[in-house]
Amino acid sequence: MAAQVQALPAPAHGEQRGIDTALVGMLLFIASEIMFFAGLFGAYFNIRAEHTVWPPQGFELDLGLAAVLTVILVSSSFTMQYAVSRIRKGDRTGMVRAMTVTVILGVVFLLGQAYDYATLGFGISSGVYGTLFFTMTGFHGAHVLGGVIGMSIVLLRGLSGQFSARHHTAVEAVSLYWHFVDVVWIGLFSTLYLLR
Amino acid sequence: MQWPPRVRSVASIAGLVVLAPLLGGCSALYPPNAATDQGADIRNLYTVFLVPMVAIFLLVEGLILWSVIRYRRRKGDEELPVQTHGNNLLEVTWTVLPTLLVLALFFVSWQTLNKVDAESKPELTVDVTGFQWQWTFAYPQYGLSYTGIGDQGPVLVLPVDEVVHVRLHSHDVIHSFYVPDFLFKRDVIPGQVNNFDLTLKDAGVTYSGQCAQLCGMDHYQMRFTVRTMTPADFQAWVQAEQTKTRATPTPPPGGSVAGPTLQLSASNTTNFDQSSLTASAGQPFTVVLTNKTAGAPHNFAIRDSSGKVRFTGLPLAQPGQTVSYAVPALPAGTYTFFCSVHPNMQGTLTVK
Amino acid sequence: MATTVLAPGATRIYQRSALYEWLTTTDHKKIGILYLTNSFLFFLLAGLLALVIRSELAVPGLQFVNSSTYNQLFTMHGTTMIFLVLMPFLAGLGNYAVPLQIGAADMAFPRINALSFWMLPLGGILMFSGFFFGGAAAEGWTSYSPLAQAKYSGSGTDLWIVALLLIGTSSILGSINFLATIFKLRAPGMTLLRMPIFVWTVMVTSLLILLATPVFTSGVFMLYIDRNFGGAFFDPASGGNPILWQNLFWFFGHPEVYILILPAMGVISEVVPVFSRKPIFGYKAFIFATLLIGGLGFSVWAHHMFTTGAVYLPFFSLMTSLIGVPTGIKFFNWIATMWRGKITFATPMLFALGFLTTFLVGGLDGAILASPPVDYALHDTYWIVAHIHFVFFGGTMFGVFAAAYYWFPKMFGARLDEGLGKVHFVLMLIGTWLTFFPMHLLGLEGMPRRIADYSPAAGWTDLNTIATIGSFVIAISVLPFMWNVFVTLRGPRDAGDDPWDAYTLEWATTSPPPPYNFDHLPPIRSERPLFDLKYGHGARRALPAASLATADEGAH
Repeated sequence: MAAQVQALPAPAHGEQRGIDTALVGMLLFIASEIMFFAGLFGAYFNIRAEHTVWPPQGFELDLGLAAVLTVILVSSSFTMQYAVSRIRKGDRTGMVRAMTVTVILGVVFLLGQAYDYATLGFGISSGVYGTLFFTMTGFHGAHVLGGVIGMSIVLLRGLSGQFSARHHTAVEAVSLYWHFVDVVWIGLFSTLYLLR
Repeated sequence: MQWPPRVRSVASIAGLVVLAPLLGGCSALYPPNAATDQGADIRNLYTVFLVPMVAIFLLVEGLILWSVIRYRRRKGDEELPVQTHGNNLLEVTWTVLPTLLVLALFFVSWQTLNKVDAESKPELTVDVTGFQWQWTFAYPQYGLSYTGIGDQGPVLVLPVDEVVHVRLHSHDVIHSFYVPDFLFKRDVIPGQVNNFDLTLKDAGVTYSGQCAQLCGMDHYQMRFTVRTMTPADFQAWVQAEQTKTRATPTPPPGGSVAGPTLQLSASNTTNFDQSSLTASAGQPFTVVLTNKTAGAPHNFAIRDSSGKVRFTGLPLAQPGQTVSYAVPALPAGTYTFFCSVHPNMQGTLTVK
Repeated sequence: MATTVLAPGATRIYQRSALYEWLTTTDHKKIGILYLTNSFLFFLLAGLLALVIRSELAVPGLQFVNSSTYNQLFTMHGTTMIFLVLMPFLAGLGNYAVPLQIGAADMAFPRINALSFWMLPLGGILMFSGFFFGGAAAEGWTSYSPLAQAKYSGSGTDLWIVALLLIGTSSILGSINFLATIFKLRAPGMTLLRMPIFVWTVMVTSLLILLATPVFTSGVFMLYIDRNFGGAFFDPASGGNPILWQNLFWFFGHPEVYILILPAMGVISEVVPVFSRKPIFGYKAFIFATLLIGGLGFSVWAHHMFTTGAVYLPFFSLMTSLIGVPTGIKFFNWIATMWRGKITFATPMLFALGFLTTFLVGGLDGAILASPPVDYALHDTYWIVAHIHFVFFGGTMFGVFAAAYYWFPKMFGARLDEGLGKVHFVLMLIGTWLTFFPMHLLGLEGMPRRIADYSPAAGWTDLNTIATIGSFVIAISVLPFMWNVFVTLRGPRDAGDDPWDAYTLEWATTSPPPPYNFDHLPPIRSERPLFDLKYGHGARRALPAASLATADEGAH
């Protein structure tokens, strides 16, 4: 009998096998976010399929600005991944530098989007196209903002030296999230600007 | 061929199980006899589904009951039963057989679906418009149109033995055209015209119908009636109605029918041009409605503070028309006037 | 004994007021009990709404409420029962049982777990506050547009939207927590194919929540934008499409039905084997069926829209027909589990049997609806009301009560009284059939759902009166349960660790378990580790050894 009794299982916060629990949580969260945007994209294609003229007359988008913003956001994914690769090697300074660049690129994207909103000739209540455009890009913008805030927190923690080559789950998590935000934008850019 | 007694008894039990729902005692489990050819198909299909479902119900409940009685634990019996973990053959059987059953049912149902939804060349087309909380039945080829008033709604007169094509329109929320005796309903959706065909069987019958999709406060009162006629009677009815419509003089434009006159106009489907009206208590008055909206009819109706509709002005003012409504005397109080076609168009009627 | 000896200070309880402790707890067991308590309170509230609805419908004429209030009542009844009662009941059971059943110390993210819970009462209060701000939402729990647009409905609908955003977020966070817990925190030896069926059902349910709820959230946001920012998603006049809402809603709404039934099926799969003294028959088939239901659940949503004329009927009809098969597999598995067992009839088993006999009807009357032409006749009638209540009340609620009686001794160390439990069961079973079976017949006779009143000439009066009587029987049946909980909690806590001679790990620790759950774990070599411990691994026939009957040697 005594031989059958085992020690306590590994506590929830200790060393674990395989992928980190917090990263599992982040991946699951991203899965739910994908479904959220799937709902928005589903709405877009459903409504688009009902219209013969698309986009309806009088809705002009600023393709040039959006292309610049796309380049900015995609580059920020690379700087983010560079930050992750630096901290994996234990290079805190490199991580902080790359993360700072990423945050700046994220902010520039948001400012660019704000400028775009201010100069577009239509609003959220000017028919279903306006509603779709502002809802989809708006929710994406909110996610960019969330990512910028998350990266800033990670940056501050990095500045106070909280990460090392072995302990940097938060950096990995925020990078997963940032890549996801980037991929959603590529989907949005293709759908709203390229496919029209 | 002689079946072994065991098989015979099993077969007879199975037969009983299958026949049970068909016996008189279970007739409550059936929808009404169908008034249309399409409904009759649906009713037959319902039987095809009901019989196996009742059989499965009896089988499963029987097995549960049997297990519970036969395998209850006796007092003092401490021994473990045999620890069976599964049986592949059994499990495959009760996966495959139900799959075959539902596939078979699906194919039967598909056949019926194609019949019920089939559209052939109609002899009569009817436009049904649902709005909060009334119906309009129009016969475009005869120039006739009926909008319901009161909680019994309008009457839809239809010939038997002819293919009737029904087109469903809504200008506000979603409704559903439902006649229980047709065993049929179809949603009435704004921005989309739904169609179906029906062929009625018996003349001289009335069927009641009502809206089946929640459409707001008075959804439960959105009723109507279908009355059937022989084709000959129907033609006679159409002629009589057409004569009557022609004989009815168009409402005097703006002319005062009784009491003082209130002017009202509507330029869109969101609100009246006037947001408030004032009338004297206990005295009939006339409301002259000018419809300046392109493409939508309006009327003038009144409901009291409890939401009860006190007056519905008919006929509807078609685009460009001006119609006078004679309103009976109302007691003093504050009322809401609205358009029955666009109930969101509202204003305050003060009676003092 | 090779028991791990804890430091002397480790078991000392840090003194805080009980209220503060419950308000700030991150212990999955306490959060589970909070979930269950909160759900029960909303159950009473939604039940009261149902009694008003049934009283109004007992005879023709508007006796108690006007039609506008009536619409609010059934909207709030439906929304509350689904989002604030059934879903959190199951989440609460999962919270309590899953970490124990897989031998974990807590959920993966305890603080997020607490957050998920506290969003629920907040959402509930917001939603009900509509009654004080010009009327609660009144468009049905499905809230179809355009009826739910600002033009046609009041501010209660905005509160409804905000509440559902909160509740939806709560369940998404909860599902992430469940999945991370099940993926990462299983005890050594607890492979996926040794997990209790209940854990499997919670896992599949969490996947459904994770993938379906966000789509609903996006739809609800669109509705909010339409209502408040001049959006046009569901407004055909501005180029939108009202059917889009139905697609988004039911893409979530149908998996939601399985979200609400799968964990209840899991409970039944725990209770039936224990009280039949046999293992679950066809463990792997059961898991396969659960996964199949979860997968097919995403391809059947439009069977709620057969009468819209806007969906491709044969595909959704076929998928809906097929989804009946895995449910059938489960039924046969449960019966085969009882077959040649030695069944005892404690209250948990009675409720499990109530589930089997009653939920069966909800499965079969639903299979009939898989046929589009038959659905043309029965859709939006009381047949649908009967179907949903046989599934959710006859199914899920019976499963919840089976679980309540089953896990109560583990939660509080005392068994609920069997006599009162049997009174509760008998009354609830009679009440359920009396209330909901006649609704099939009303549906066949053509009574539409969601109507405040009907004409005396319609011939629906007798069946409605019967249903109303039944609803009061259900209401009365809850009283002995509440009394039972009250007296049991005041009585001695003498249930012991393993009062049911059960199989799974939660019974291997004390009742109630310590905050960290386990002092030690039995070895896990099958889906019944505690059975193996008591009767020997792989036992086919064995006498229970008195010395092995409890596993609390290491308890302090």
